[in-house]
Amino acid sequence: MGRSEPQPRQGKKNPKKKPDMARRAKLVIQRRTLCLLLVFGVASFLALFAKAYDLTINQHAELQERASRQQTQSTTISASRGTIYDRNGVALAKSATADTVFLDPNVLQKRAEELDAARAKKLAEGLKEGESLPMTGQEYKDLIAERLSELLDLEPEEIYEKMEKTWSRYEVLKKRVDREIGDQVRAFLTDNPTGASIQGIHLASDAKRYYAYSSLASHVIGFLDGDNHGAYGLEALYEEELEGSTGLMVTAKDANGAELMFQYEQYYDAEDGNSLVTTIDINIQNYLERGLADMISKYGAKNGAAGVVMDPNSGAILAIASSPTYDVNYHHAIYDEQLQAQLAAVDEEYPPGPGESHSAEYWRKLEELQLRQWRNKAVNDTYEPGSTFKILTLSMALEEGTVNPNSTFDCSGSITVSTARIGCSRHGGHGHQILKEAVANSCNPAFINIGLGLGIDTFYDYVEAFGLMDKTGVDLQGDVGGIFAKQEDAITLDLACYAFGQNFNVTPLQLITAQAACINGGYLYTPYVVERELDGDGNVVRQHDATPVRQVISEETSATVREMLEYVVSDGTGRNGQVAGYRVGGKTGTADKSGTKDPETNPQGDVVVSFLCFAPADDPQVIMLLTLDTPSRDTGTYVSGGNMVAPTASSIMSDILPYLGISPQYTEEDAGAADATVPHVVGLTAAEAAERLASYGFTSYRTVGSGETVTDQTPLGGAIVPAAAEIILYMGEEKSTEPCVVPNVVGLSAAEANRALVNAGLIMRSTGAGGSEGIKAMSQSIPPDTQVSPGTVVTVQMGQTANHAD
Amino acid sequence: MTREEYRQLKKQKERERRRKEREAWEAARGPLDVPFLLLAMLLLAIGLIMVLSASFPSAQTEKGDALYYFKRQVMFGAAGVVAMFWVSKINYHRFEGLAKLGIIGSMVLLILVVIPGPNKYGRLLALGENGAARWLGLPGTPFTFQPSELAKLGIIVYFAQSISRKREKMRTFKEGFLPHILILGAAVALTGMEPHLSGAILIFGIGAAMMVVGGIHWGWIAAGVAGVGAGGYLMLFTDLMQKIGYNAARIMVWKDPFGGDLDFQRRYAWQTMQSLITIGSGGLLGVGLGKSRQKFMFLPEEHNDCIFAVVFEELGLVGATLIMVLFALLIIRGFWLAIHARDRFGSLLIVGVTTQIALQTFLNIAVVTNLIPNTGISLPFFSYGGTALAIQLVEVGIVLSVSRQIPAPKAG
Repeated sequence: MGRSEPQPRQGKKNPKKKPDMARRAKLVIQRRTLCLLLVFGVASFLALFAKAYDLTINQHAELQERASRQQTQSTTISASRGTIYDRNGVALAKSATADTVFLDPNVLQKRAEELDAARAKKLAEGLKEGESLPMTGQEYKDLIAERLSELLDLEPEEIYEKMEKTWSRYEVLKKRVDREIGDQVRAFLTDNPTGASIQGIHLASDAKRYYAYSSLASHVIGFLDGDNHGAYGLEALYEEELEGSTGLMVTAKDANGAELMFQYEQYYDAEDGNSLVTTIDINIQNYLERGLADMISKYGAKNGAAGVVMDPNSGAILAIASSPTYDVNYHHAIYDEQLQAQLAAVDEEYPPGPGESHSAEYWRKLEELQLRQWRNKAVNDTYEPGSTFKILTLSMALEEGTVNPNSTFDCSGSITVSTARIGCSRHGGHGHQILKEAVANSCNPAFINIGLGLGIDTFYDYVEAFGLMDKTGVDLQGDVGGIFAKQEDAITLDLACYAFGQNFNVTPLQLITAQAACINGGYLYTPYVVERELDGDGNVVRQHDATPVRQVISEETSATVREMLEYVVSDGTGRNGQVAGYRVGGKTGTADKSGTKDPETNPQGDVVVSFLCFAPADDPQVIMLLTLDTPSRDTGTYVSGGNMVAPTASSIMSDILPYLGISPQYTEEDAGAADATVPHVVGLTAAEAAERLASYGFTSYRTVGSGETVTDQTPLGGAIVPAAAEIILYMGEEKSTEPCVVPNVVGLSAAEANRALVNAGLIMRSTGAGGSEGIKAMSQSIPPDTQVSPGTVVTVQMGQTANHAD
Repeated sequence: MTREEYRQLKKQKERERRRKEREAWEAARGPLDVPFLLLAMLLLAIGLIMVLSASFPSAQTEKGDALYYFKRQVMFGAAGVVAMFWVSKINYHRFEGLAKLGIIGSMVLLILVVIPGPNKYGRLLALGENGAARWLGLPGTPFTFQPSELAKLGIIVYFAQSISRKREKMRTFKEGFLPHILILGAAVALTGMEPHLSGAILIFGIGAAMMVVGGIHWGWIAAGVAGVGAGGYLMLFTDLMQKIGYNAARIMVWKDPFGGDLDFQRRYAWQTMQSLITIGSGGLLGVGLGKSRQKFMFLPEEHNDCIFAVVFEELGLVGATLIMVLFALLIIRGFWLAIHARDRFGSLLIVGVTTQIALQTFLNIAVVTNLIPNTGISLPFFSYGGTALAIQLVEVGIVLSVSRQIPAPKAG
C-alpha cells in the first residue's frame, strides 16, 4: 500500500498515523518472529537430530559396550574339577573348596580416614565420661596387617604394600587358603578389637586341589598353575575334560552394584569336569617308588632312576615313576634331599645381597632343579638301553628264523666288526654256548652275530614295527620317539652295536612297550594311563580301547623268548631277580653312556644299569623295567643291572605279584619259603595244636613250659610267615617280653641267615634268588642291632653278586 | 449541541462502549488454538509416562515407593492443567496491569535470594540444594519455589507490556534498548549470583528474543550475536577460563567426555558420560519403554535434567525424534500464533513463552547429547519438578488466552 498524502490533522492525534505505525511495528514483530520460528523451531532441532543420530547410530556399538560393561556383573559359578582316580577308585587328585583372601585398599583407606576424622572430632569436642578415643587409621591398618600376616603366613610389609594402592579395589592377599584358615579370617573380620566389622577385606570361594599321596605318581598326575588350570601331567593333558565349563551368571546391576531383581539375567550352567580313572595302582606305584628310593639309597644315582610297571596284555601302565620326584601339593619346593643339598650349596656359595632373600644364582638353580624334579625320565628322556634290548634282537632273529634255540655261538671275549674290536662283558669270553646260554650270559659277540645275521633292513623293519622310531602315543606329557641312524646311512658297525642295545636312544617306556610285545604273544599295545573318563554323574564318557596296534612276532616266537628270558633269571645274569614261588623272566642291562668316558676323571665312563622282568614267565601278567642312571662305582657292588637293579626288581615283584592275586607255586625246594597264615592254637592241647599247624603247612614247632594246653603262641594267629618258620607254643609259661636284637645276616647263605635269625628269636622270610650256589643274603629288611619283639619277621633279600657287567 | 443531542450522543457513546466491551469479551471467549493445546497436552502426557518410567528405580530406592515422583508430578500436572484453562479464559490484556507489579515483585524476590546471611547456605533466606541457594520457602509451609522461575514470567509480561507500548521508539537507544537491557541485566545478574547459570541464560534469552522481536535496532542484534559468539568462543576454545581461575572441567568434559582418569570422571564427567552411554545404547529403536537399564542409579538426574536420555534409551532415535518433532511443532505453532496475534502485546507474550519453551528444550537436549557443555536445565513437560511444570502450563494458558482473540481468517 502506498503512502497517501498527508492528511489534515483531526483533533489531537492523527488517526491515520496510528494504524500505520502500529501496522509497521506489527510487521517488524511478524518478520522477526518468523526468524525466531526458523531458528528455534527448525534449525535447532536439526542440530539436535544430527547429534542424536551420531550418538545412537554411529556410536551405538561403542556406547552400548560401555553400557553393558557397567550394567552387568558376571558371577562365575565355578565348575568342580574332575577327580583323578587310580584303577581301584582311590582319589589321587581331588578338588575342595578353599578361600581366596583379597584386600580392597580403596575402602580400607576410606575407613581409615573416617576413623581419623571421628578421632579428630572427638578430640575437638572433648571426651565424655567413659568414652574412649577411636583408634587412628594407622592403628586400624596395623591391626589388620598384623592379624592377617599371622593367619595367612605373609610378611606384614607385603600387606602394607598392597594397602598403599588406594586406587585399587582388588588386591589378592593369598590365593586358595584352606577353609579352616578362611574361617579364621572370617571370624576376625566380624569379631575384632575395633568392635565393628572390618571393612575392605573380602574372601572369595575358590577351589583348591588336594593330592592325597604327596609324591606318589606325581609325574603322572602333574599339577595346576596359579589360576587352577592344569600345568603339567594329566592335569594339563586332560585340562579340558577335567576343568568342566565354568558357569556364568550375568546379572544386571545398578550403579551401586546391587543386583536388580528382574529380567536381565542370563544363567549359563556350570558343568562339572569329568573324572579320570587311571590305570595307575597306587599300591603298585608305592612299591615301585619305594623300590627306586631303596635302590638309589644303596647305589646312588647321579642322574636319577626310572621305573615302569605295565600290564603286558593291554599296555595299561600300573605304575610309572621317576626320580628325583616332587610333592604334588608343593610342586615348587625341591623335594629330593640331594637336590635340596645342591640348592643349599648354591645359597652358601652365592650369599643373598642386601634386601634379597636369595641370590640370582639361587633362583636360577631353583628353576633348574624344579624342571629336573618335574621331568618324567621314563617318558621324556631317552637312553641307550644296553643289554635289555637283546630281548628284541632275539625276538627278531627267532621270528625271522635266522637263529633257533639250537644255534650255537662261540665267544672269545671280543669280536671284530669291520675294523672295530668290540669286547664282551666277560673279558675271558663265554666260550661255546647255545642260544639260551648266550642270552643268559648276555653275550655281546653272540648278539652281534645274531644282529648281523638279520641285516640292516630287516633290523630296521622290526625296530619300526616295535614302535621304537615313533612316539609311544601314551597319554602322558613329553612322549618322545627313539633316535637311530637313518636307515640309508646305517653301516654294519651300527647294526653290530644296535644288536646289543648301544649307540641308539629310546625311552624306557618305548622299550618296555616293545618288550611287552616280545613276551605277550607278539602284540604291540599303545601304553596308556587313562582307562576311562567319567562325567559328573559317574557315567562312562570314554573308555580306552586296548586293541593291539599290530602283531610284531608270532605267538610261538614269543613263547620261545619267554622261555629263554626265564632261563636268564633262573640261571643267568638275572638270578637276583628271582621271586620265590613265581616264574620270573627277565633281562639285565648295563649300558655305557656315550661320551661320558674321560681318561682323566672317569676312565670307565658312566653307565645306566637296568633290569626288565615279567611274571609269571609262562603267562605274563605284569612286566616291569627299572633303570638306574649313573650309579656310584664306590659302593663295593660291581656296577651291573644284575647286581644293582635285579634285587630291587625282585623285592618289588614279590610285593606286586601277590597283590595282583597271582598265586605262588612253590617247588619242593623252596616250599619252606612259601608264606602261610599261622592258625590260632591257643586253648588246644599240644597234639591238637601240632595237627592244626601241620594242616596250615607249618611242620616245625617247639613248646615252652609243661602245661596241658597252649596258653600263648609266637607268632600270633593270623600272622603271615614262611611255612618253614618255627612256631613257639607256650604251655602255661609266660611269653618272654624281652626284646630280640636283630643280627646282621648280610653275606650269609640262606641257611646261615635263617639259623642266626631263629636263634635271635626271629623269623626269616627270604626273597630273591633261590638255590644255594653262591647265593648270599644281600640285604635285610630290619637293620642289624635293632630291638624288636620276638617272632618278628625279617625279610632277607637273597642274591648273588657277579663281577662282570651284563 | 442540545441537551437532547448530548443525551443522544452520550447514549450512543455508552452503547459504543458496551459494544466494544462485549466485543472484547466475546473475543476473549473465542476458540482456543486447538493444535497448540493438543501438542502441549500430548507432550505433557508423554512427559508423565517418561517420569514414571525414569523415576521408579530411584523412587523405590530413595522413597520406598516406586510411584512417589510420578504421583507428585501427576498432581502438579493436573493442577497446572486446571490453571492453564483458567488462565486461557482471562482476557490477556488484564495482564498488562500486572506487568509493573510483576517485574517489581520478581526483582524483589531475586534480591531476597541473594542477600547474604547466617544460614547454612550463607544466605539470609534462601535455601539450597547442590551447593547453590536458589529457593525461597514459604514460611510455615514445606513449600519452596525458585524466584528465577517467577522472574521469567515477570520478564515476559513486563517486556510484552513495555515493548508493545514503545512501538517505533524501540529502535531508539534511550527508550527502546537501554531500559530493557538494564532490567534484563539486573535480573540476569541476580540469577547468576545465586548462582544459577542456566536460569540466567534462559532469562537473558527470553528477554533478548522479545527485544529483538520488539524491534530494537539491527545493530544491537548484530552486536549481541557477535558478543555471544565471541564470548562462547573464548570460553570454549581458549584457555581464558582457566586463566581467570574458573574450573574448566565442564568444558574439558564437553570436548572429551570419556577422557580423564577415574577420579576426574567420577567428579566431573559422570553425568555426561552416563547420559551419552544411555543415549547411545538405545540405538535406532531403543530397548523398549520402561526397560532402561541406565536409570538404575547410573544416570544421575534421570527423571530431571537427563530424562530425555532415558527417552533415547527406551524409545531409540525414532521415538526421541518423534518427540522432538512434537516439540518443534509446538514451538512453530507458538511462533505462528505470535505472528497472527491480535496485537503487539499478545504477540510479544507468546514470543516470550514460546522462546522459553524452545530455549529450554534445545538447551536440555543439547546438554544430554553433549552438543553443548553441561548446565543443569530441565525439559518442559518432561522433567520432574512441580512448580516448574505448573508455571509452564500457566504459560501455555497465556498463549491459549492470546490465541482466543486471534481474528478469524476472512472467508475466501
